[in-house]
Amino acid sequence: MGSLQKLNQYFKKYKGTIILGSLFLTASNFFLIWIPVYLRRTVDEVSNINVEESPDSFDSIIEVLFNSSASWVLAKNALLLVGAVLLSGFLLFATRQTLIVASRKIEFDLRNDIFDKLLKLPQRFYSNYDSGEVYVRATEDVSKVREYFGPAYMYTINTLTRMGFIITMMIIVSPELTMWALLPLPFLSAFAYWVSGYINDYSRIIQEQYSTIAGRAKESFSSIRLIKAYNREAYEMQRFEDESESYRKKKLRLDLVESLFHPTLNLLIGLSVVIVVWKAGQLVIEGQLTVGNILEFIVYVAYLTWPVASLGYTVNRFQQSMASWKRIDQVLTEDVKIEDQAHTDQQIDHINGTIEFNDVSFKYPGAEEYALNDVNLKVEAGQNAAIVGRTGSGKTTLIELVPRLFDVTEGEILIDGQNIESIPLQLLRESIGLVPQDTFLFSDTIGENIAFGTTNATQEEIEEAAEKAQVRDNILEFDKKFETILGERGITLSGGQKQRTAIARALIRDPKIIILDDSLSAVDTKTEEAILQHLRKELKGRTTLMISHRISTIKDADIIYYLEDGTVVEQGTHEELLEKEGRYSVMYNKQLIEQELAEI
Amino acid sequence: MSNSTTDKAVDSDLLRRLYQFIRPYRWYVLLGIALTLSAAFMGTVRPKLTQIAVDEYIRNKDFQGLLWIVLLLIGALVGEFLLLVANTYLTRWFGQGTLFNLRNAVFKKIQSLHVQFFDKNPIGRLITRTTSDIEALSDLLSDGVVNIIGDMFRIFFILYFMFSMSWELSLVAISVLPILFYATFVFKAKVRVSFLNVRDQISRLNSFVQEHINGMGIVQLFNKEEREREKFKDINAAHRDAYIETIFYFAIFWPLVEIIASLAMALVIWYGGGRALMGQVTFGILLAFIQYVRDFFRPIQGLSEKFNTLQSALASSERIFNVLDTENEITDPAEPEKIGEVKGEIEFENVWFSYNKEETVLRDVSFKAEPGKTIAFVGATGAGKSTIINLLLRYYDIDEGSIKIDGKDIRDLTLSELRSNFALVLQDNALFSGSIMENITLGNPNISKEEVIATSREIGADAFINKLPNGYNYELSERGQSISMGQRQLICFIRAMVYDPNILILDEATSSVDSETEETVNKAFKKLMEGRTSIVIAHRLSTIQGADKILVMHKGEIRERGTHQQLIGKEEGIYRKLYELQYKDELLPTVKSE
Repeated sequence: MGSLQKLNQYFKKYKGTIILGSLFLTASNFFLIWIPVYLRRTVDEVSNINVEESPDSFDSIIEVLFNSSASWVLAKNALLLVGAVLLSGFLLFATRQTLIVASRKIEFDLRNDIFDKLLKLPQRFYSNYDSGEVYVRATEDVSKVREYFGPAYMYTINTLTRMGFIITMMIIVSPELTMWALLPLPFLSAFAYWVSGYINDYSRIIQEQYSTIAGRAKESFSSIRLIKAYNREAYEMQRFEDESESYRKKKLRLDLVESLFHPTLNLLIGLSVVIVVWKAGQLVIEGQLTVGNILEFIVYVAYLTWPVASLGYTVNRFQQSMASWKRIDQVLTEDVKIEDQAHTDQQIDHINGTIEFNDVSFKYPGAEEYALNDVNLKVEAGQNAAIVGRTGSGKTTLIELVPRLFDVTEGEILIDGQNIESIPLQLLRESIGLVPQDTFLFSDTIGENIAFGTTNATQEEIEEAAEKAQVRDNILEFDKKFETILGERGITLSGGQKQRTAIARALIRDPKIIILDDSLSAVDTKTEEAILQHLRKELKGRTTLMISHRISTIKDADIIYYLEDGTVVEQGTHEELLEKEGRYSVMYNKQLIEQELAEI
Repeated sequence: MSNSTTDKAVDSDLLRRLYQFIRPYRWYVLLGIALTLSAAFMGTVRPKLTQIAVDEYIRNKDFQGLLWIVLLLIGALVGEFLLLVANTYLTRWFGQGTLFNLRNAVFKKIQSLHVQFFDKNPIGRLITRTTSDIEALSDLLSDGVVNIIGDMFRIFFILYFMFSMSWELSLVAISVLPILFYATFVFKAKVRVSFLNVRDQISRLNSFVQEHINGMGIVQLFNKEEREREKFKDINAAHRDAYIETIFYFAIFWPLVEIIASLAMALVIWYGGGRALMGQVTFGILLAFIQYVRDFFRPIQGLSEKFNTLQSALASSERIFNVLDTENEITDPAEPEKIGEVKGEIEFENVWFSYNKEETVLRDVSFKAEPGKTIAFVGATGAGKSTIINLLLRYYDIDEGSIKIDGKDIRDLTLSELRSNFALVLQDNALFSGSIMENITLGNPNISKEEVIATSREIGADAFINKLPNGYNYELSERGQSISMGQRQLICFIRAMVYDPNILILDEATSSVDSETEETVNKAFKKLMEGRTSIVIAHRLSTIQGADKILVMHKGEIRERGTHQQLIGKEEGIYRKLYELQYKDELLPTVKSE
């Protein structure tokens, strides 16, 4: 229950509002019960006044309503009824404006807390969890938990207070009749609980079958050539139809329960009314009750049914909110490891840029095999190092360790001779400009995306960085220039433009260390050459780690490391490596031939 | 063949077209309407019965009569219950049936369309047409139509009973309706706008979260946690405020409906009370009216909801019918020639082709494959090799020239007869989820289990299949990810062999086969080509050195032809360069780190 207590902490901030809202709701229900009372009074009082029958004319009804001894009785009751209903309605408005609004505010707080946590969690967490799952927890689950604070709470208070008032009133009139009238209501509640639970469980099954149908369609449509080649259209049709049929059947089972739902509610409510007519009728005949009481009871029962039915629904909602909360709580209590620790040396306030790997081995969390094995390398400050190797050889893993996106499993990484775990994380990352392989850009303006690299960048600085990354001219061609929005709601940059924007984002930091992970792969060799020529000036004086598949990009590097299966297998300058006639020289020769082929 | 009605009136009413799918169920729809009618009557007659109970029996102290009327009430109640259950289920049943037919029709149509249609439309969109667009009709078909009619019946009966008891009091009671209509109208308009805003805010919030989960590494690398936290707060606040606005409208609307209903009650009790004093209205009537006033509101609210359902359903059905109306660009000839079993002579004569008008993919390609011989195509990616396959199977029609099989133009044959002469082994997407057996036979009942097993023995794949749990019944996951590349290829080979055609088309896998299965694959490959005209798109040159003819494609043209020996001898030849390129790769010593 510690978990639930933690959840209830969120109520605290809005305690006043929630108490007020609960009072409003209670008061609203209090006034609501006066409506049947005035209905009853009118009927009872009218039956006690004996006016002789008058001719059916319009004049005489005006007479009765406005100008007779009875007109005051009629008007008083009608006006009081309207008064009660106005008060009750206004209070209901006030309730929703307090309780439901508060639940949205609590949701706001909860979302902020979760996002805050997401910002702090290390990459280890993100590689452990499926990103879709994290997403669901941060979005859908929060919405479900919100129902606990909002509708679930409101309905509970509503049911309790309304039942309290109405049953009290009913008992005052007739305890016996009350018992009879309430008889079907527990069934109503239980039934609503059962049905909403069933719908929930079964909807999941149906959702799965729905995905199966979509999966079948996907498989058929994406293999359309094969299907046509083997003339298997009819067979595929049959397979689709089978799933479609299974979906129909499952859906119909849910439909059966759903088609029971409303009619059963209707039946139980109607039963209450019939019981009232029957039992109250007998009591009226016996002279214990009046006709007005029958009317009163029918309205009471009508007022009770929805809150009673919602009770079952609310219990179900509550269970779901709790399940969602548990999932969220898991994220919130996840521990944050990579942050600065005790052995961080806060004295360090400057980085020169010498990078050294000492017997570094690394295993991704949960993985069986090592992604890096005993890697040793040293890049002096200001040097330009290149890392080459086939896909999957561990290049990207290697560079991700430098800004501590992950911590090494064995061995150590030194910068300026200091273990990077003792350098303040903020400083370490500040000193690095990384251009990742997938060039992730946000759905924001281009300017904002470049400025992302630093704080309070001026427009000049942004444009300068864009110029250095050779993307400024492209950006200026857009109508809104640096204000152009990217992503779903904006435009899509070409691969090359994206990469250069990401380079600009790294350059604007003016970092000591710059890391380029295959950052110009999307442009052709000639364009790359031109960009590099400019870029080299910028990179001068910075330690550069560069991953590339193109020899032309890396042949001028101070040192080249050839990685295979997570280990450095060759190292040296371009010339040295060519002389070795090893893997590097094979790669070089292949690229020469490819180039020749392209030129034929 | 498909029974596509060649209706030229594409623009005819969507509802009428939808009706075509409901038509098989039309008698059930009528039954549903009849049930609804009865249910509406039984639901609305009960206040009238309570009126009789009060006026006739309770007032006259007639216990016996009261008991009868109570039994009648219970009868009406249970009757309504049964009718409602039957009717709801019935409408759901034919609704699901209609959706089922519609879904299958869309799938069938899409599957029958020309391959270029699949190039132009992303798979995701096609899936949407077969799934969620159909689902959007669900509300309309399973609840909508019949319920709209039901709501109208209810309103009609309530009015009928009210007016039959007292027309004056009825007019007084329904005098509040204009206020209700007006309030509902204003509310719907306001809520619509503010819901659009809410939807916007939700998607903004969600995509921000999604994006930041994916790009969290970047945020952390650039020390942007603080700033992104602030940004999220703003978006989160906008999201909260959008909701708070709709809360306001609902907070006004629901109490208002309650107030209007109570206002009607107050009017009934006031005016009716006056009439009762004059002895013209009985207490039973008052009692019935109070109930009717409350019952009246529900169907009116219901009707305004249904209207929205109808609109969104129509939008979906338009998209669905657009697909169903798509013209198939590759069709059978009007008077197809018969070809029967072919010898397997293939001839391309001056073939020109482009996928889109701008870029010519094949330029003046001519070649001839003799029956039983192997012809191999090599070339860099994008040279036009795979296009040859696409044209031969008539996935696309050529722009100029002709393609002949045994001397007959492929456009003169039916598609199914043409294609039945080929066995195709594709590099990707070749396996489905399902058992290995199903993947080999593709559900063809003419291929026996024994045949499959014999064939797989012949090419040496039997051993590995038997090692799998359940053997031939082993369930493959999507695209066969659960077995190795080489094993997948072997299964495709078995499939091609059991279909036993005279022409084999083989698009060799790009990725390298694991060394364990490589030998088996190579052997199987040779078996497969025996006695068949084979068109091989080769990526690994080592496999086609024995081909009768090698055609080197480069930028859409055939640049070199000859046997391996002839081509390798050309000093500056393309083939030779390609060969060197691969040779280099194979020279690389594979270092296995332990």
